[in-house]
Amino acid sequence: MSATTVAERAPTVGGKKSLSDSALARFFLSPSVLVMALVAAFPIFYAIILSLYVYQGRLREGFGGLENYTEALSSSRFWDAVQATFIFTVSSVSAEFLIGLGFALIMRQVFIGRGITRASILVPWVIPTVIAAQLWYFMFSVTPGFVNYALGLDRFNWLGQPGWAMFSIVFADVWKTAPFVALLLLAGLQTIPDEMYESARVDGATTWQRFWYITMPLLKPAILVALLFRTIDALRVFDLPQVMTGGSFNTESLSILVQRYVVQTPNPGLGSALSTLTFIIVLIIGVLFVRALGRDFVLNVEDE
Amino acid sequence: MATNDGVVVQTSPLRKVGRYALLAFILLWCLFPFMWLIDTSLKLGDAALNSPSLSQGPFGLDNYRSVFDQGFGYNLRNSAIVAGTTTIVCITIGSLAAYALARLPLKGKVLILSAILAVALFPSVALVPPLYELWLNLGLLNTYPGLYIPYTAFTLPLTIFILTTFYASIPKDLEEQARVDGATAFQAFYKIVLPLAAPGVFAAAIIVFVYAWNEFLLSSTFAPRDLAAQTVPVAIAAFTGSVEFQRPIGTVTAACVIVTIPMIIGTLILQRRITAGLTAGAVKG
Repeated sequence: MSATTVAERAPTVGGKKSLSDSALARFFLSPSVLVMALVAAFPIFYAIILSLYVYQGRLREGFGGLENYTEALSSSRFWDAVQATFIFTVSSVSAEFLIGLGFALIMRQVFIGRGITRASILVPWVIPTVIAAQLWYFMFSVTPGFVNYALGLDRFNWLGQPGWAMFSIVFADVWKTAPFVALLLLAGLQTIPDEMYESARVDGATTWQRFWYITMPLLKPAILVALLFRTIDALRVFDLPQVMTGGSFNTESLSILVQRYVVQTPNPGLGSALSTLTFIIVLIIGVLFVRALGRDFVLNVEDE
Repeated sequence: MATNDGVVVQTSPLRKVGRYALLAFILLWCLFPFMWLIDTSLKLGDAALNSPSLSQGPFGLDNYRSVFDQGFGYNLRNSAIVAGTTTIVCITIGSLAAYALARLPLKGKVLILSAILAVALFPSVALVPPLYELWLNLGLLNTYPGLYIPYTAFTLPLTIFILTTFYASIPKDLEEQARVDGATAFQAFYKIVLPLAAPGVFAAAIIVFVYAWNEFLLSSTFAPRDLAAQTVPVAIAAFTGSVEFQRPIGTVTAACVIVTIPMIIGTLILQRRITAGLTAGAVKG
């Protein structure tokens, strides 16, 4: 501990230990902690302060207390955005999980062509979401209408009506992310020893029993981690609805709504109140998930 | 009925065919939309809008020329600078933090890891109004730092998780031997652990780069129009015609192809490292 004072200095070259290990640990951690505290934690408090003031456009009019929150919570637009965000999250995450699990199970069983599949499965992941959005926007559009052409439909307006607009956005997200979920689950599948399946087969277990009593329980940690990150990611959806529908036809997500009050109709007070509410919603869901995962999720990084 | 759960057991030919058909479906799922994208970007004039047929011409490279006429070269430059800076800063400070968490004695490790996890779960939209106000006052709107500073904060948790896993998998003996021989903890990290962790560092770097390259919410808010800082995703979203229904399909698809092809080639080459990184952190980039 006596070496703490030299922690800020560069360690001297040579055999002599100039820093205690724990001082070095703090020194190594400090830049990362500083950046995350200044850019992620501090703005949250700043947003709470901003949200307590009333603005007319960008002009501050005075202290308003919880006025912005009452306005946000009593507007149907906020609740529509909450609804759209939840519909998107539940439908996209469940579809991605089922399709991703299917892909992972197929990829585990196949040997020839596994390399090329594993490589191409990364392709939708690596593509900017904006590009995926433009791609599916044109696919679903009436002109040129590739989706309609492939399905034999005549000028069906996917993006121009409530319900189907959300369906198209969910479809684009599932296309982009199901392969990624497959990749995570495949990594989980590969940690299950083959001997377990062998002995289960010897004991007469059916394919379904092997899946349900061996694969699923042992895959549970990988499933929960994949679901956690997919859910949190889906709750902050922005790119796809912004590019594909601009938020029309009941597809305005919370992120789009917040961004509106920064860019289109600037109002730092109301915008900050909305962003704080969004933060609280995502936080609650994140905490529920992490509690379900248990402490081992955080701890497994530590115990090597 | 024998199934093949990873061990070579005789399989009925019908099942085998079925499996490869499913594999082909996965390949088609992942790759077909790009074939369509390339095909559409090569169609000239109104051909792309008029017919959904893949073979309906005329074809040519005009769309690619018009993309660069609209200043797309600047967007590529901006994205490269922003994503490159994010990657370098994030990996430099993140690798130090991960080493401290994986190897050095530290009080409250669980607390620190929980805090890092909290930042990983953070909805970036919560930062949009307050950071916009801050950047407005600091003059950081439409600048590179206005983008790479928040990107670094958001990619740090992922980087630290990935690198902590990689460091933890390196045998301790080598390091301990070096310490016995008189090396400091810093020297042990710098000369022994870091070179051995290079594959992990590289994997993390790719994932951070992809995140920064693809980010859209913050970039479209903090640098929406100015070509001095507008990044590729913002430019691609902004290629809109006068009416919403007249999005210039040729230019948009050509711009998408220009961005996508190098990324796909890079992904195919670096596939193993990316997979290792993604599954180590088990987090989306």
